Amino acid sequence: MENKMGYNASFAEEVFRNVDSGDEIKMCMNCGVCAASCPLREHMDYPPRQIFSLIRAGKREEVLGSQSIMLCTSCYTCVVKCPRSIPVMDVMHGLAHYALKKGYTPRIEAARFGKEFWNQVYRRGRVDERDLAQRAYFAGGFWEGVKKILEFADVGIKLVLHRRMKLIPEKKIKGISTLRKMLDKAEMLDKGRSVQ
Amino acid sequence: MKYFLYWGCSLEASGANFLVSLKPSCEALGMEFLEIEDWNCCGASVSYAGAGDLAIKVANARNLAIAEAEGGYDVVAPCSSCYIQMIKVNHEIKEDPDLLEQVNVCLAEGGLKYRGNLNVRHIQDVLYNDIGVDKIKERVIKPLSGLKVAGYVGCQSVRPYGEYDSVNKPVVQDRLLEALGAEAVPFPNKIKCCGSGLFVPEMDYCMELVKNILEDALNHGAKLISTVCPMCAMNLEIYQNRINDHYGTHFDVPIVYLTQLMAIAFGMDMKKHAALNYNLIPPEGVIHAAIG
Repeated sequence: MENKMGYNASFAEEVFRNVDSGDEIKMCMNCGVCAASCPLREHMDYPPRQIFSLIRAGKREEVLGSQSIMLCTSCYTCVVKCPRSIPVMDVMHGLAHYALKKGYTPRIEAARFGKEFWNQVYRRGRVDERDLAQRAYFAGGFWEGVKKILEFADVGIKLVLHRRMKLIPEKKIKGISTLRKMLDKAEMLDKGRSVQ
Repeated sequence: MKYFLYWGCSLEASGANFLVSLKPSCEALGMEFLEIEDWNCCGASVSYAGAGDLAIKVANARNLAIAEAEGGYDVVAPCSSCYIQMIKVNHEIKEDPDLLEQVNVCLAEGGLKYRGNLNVRHIQDVLYNDIGVDKIKERVIKPLSGLKVAGYVGCQSVRPYGEYDSVNKPVVQDRLLEALGAEAVPFPNKIKCCGSGLFVPEMDYCMELVKNILEDALNHGAKLISTVCPMCAMNLEIYQNRINDHYGTHFDVPIVYLTQLMAIAFGMDMKKHAALNYNLIPPEGVIHAAIG
């Protein structure tokens, strides 16, 4: 019989199977405490509670294309407050990772920043803050990069003057090649890999 | 007491005043620090955009495995993000032995193995529980009497596990400030988020978070704000002029690390040990006004 409510379980199954911590939403009772506790709730198109309902309703485009999944500040307030002990934050991170892998680009600047952060870890084992900012700025093209550099030049200069920005690029860690092997292995074993 | 100090990437750059002040002030209390050989970045709180959950855990387990093999002392992480990423692995492998096995399959690619025997500690935890406020008080030469400080706890130094302090009403930083002789002002926004790593890409949204924190601290009489997180320190300090431009406010409040205040109270050098010259908004004025 057709489901008159329009529920479509296949997207929920997709999330349970492929999204890190995705199966945790089975415990959600839609109380909304996560939404109430979130610092950026006002800027979210769908707060976490609604994201979970949309997953259950099979609204794939709405969920993976939503702004909210990229707007987590990782403050763990929702994790602490959830009466069903759902690691809400981890689910949001898992959804963001999955959405980006599937080619969705909500909040492009946050996505570029996060991706470049991890690139730094993978490339040299450590993050060089100056290089990170520069690369994230230029990820949107040359002119956008120049505009950003000019916009934040004052911050950069102050940090340099106060010895809080390294001018010499950070070196790779000695064990970088084995670190990469470990991380490659982890990505192979990771949940999301099964649907590449 | 010996510890591994995992200071992470930020404390060598934007959070340098944390590391510069932490070492002498904590060593003065009898702590001895070792570096984890060839440590790597923890991935902080934004790496999920580029990495799967397991890869981030493996990056952290690599550091723990090295520390475990090198002597197994408690790992002290002053940076909140480093702390939470490392302690999260520890917590989750205890609940899920399969995860430990998966992590070790990955670590084996580099000939490492983590047995899960290490303790990961925040610097506040160690100061409060291993050293204790009494010993800190004994070491104080120049009490910070009359200095009204808002102890800004932030998020990841206590949430979500609450290992050493309440997740809802943390008190440890206030007790440590009081041990230094300072007055810790009540400050409801002390556990509100500053925007963390999202501040840079989402500045329009996150400025309001910082504005609310600064406003609350000042409304409660604070003359400066102390913190134990390089991300909090950065977000609260370096964008104050932008917040002023945006909201028509007049913030000019110094943001210092708890360890900078420790170095001052311990009578150490204001520059060499307390690293006050690293601060963008100079704290010397309010400190001298209070303690002379």
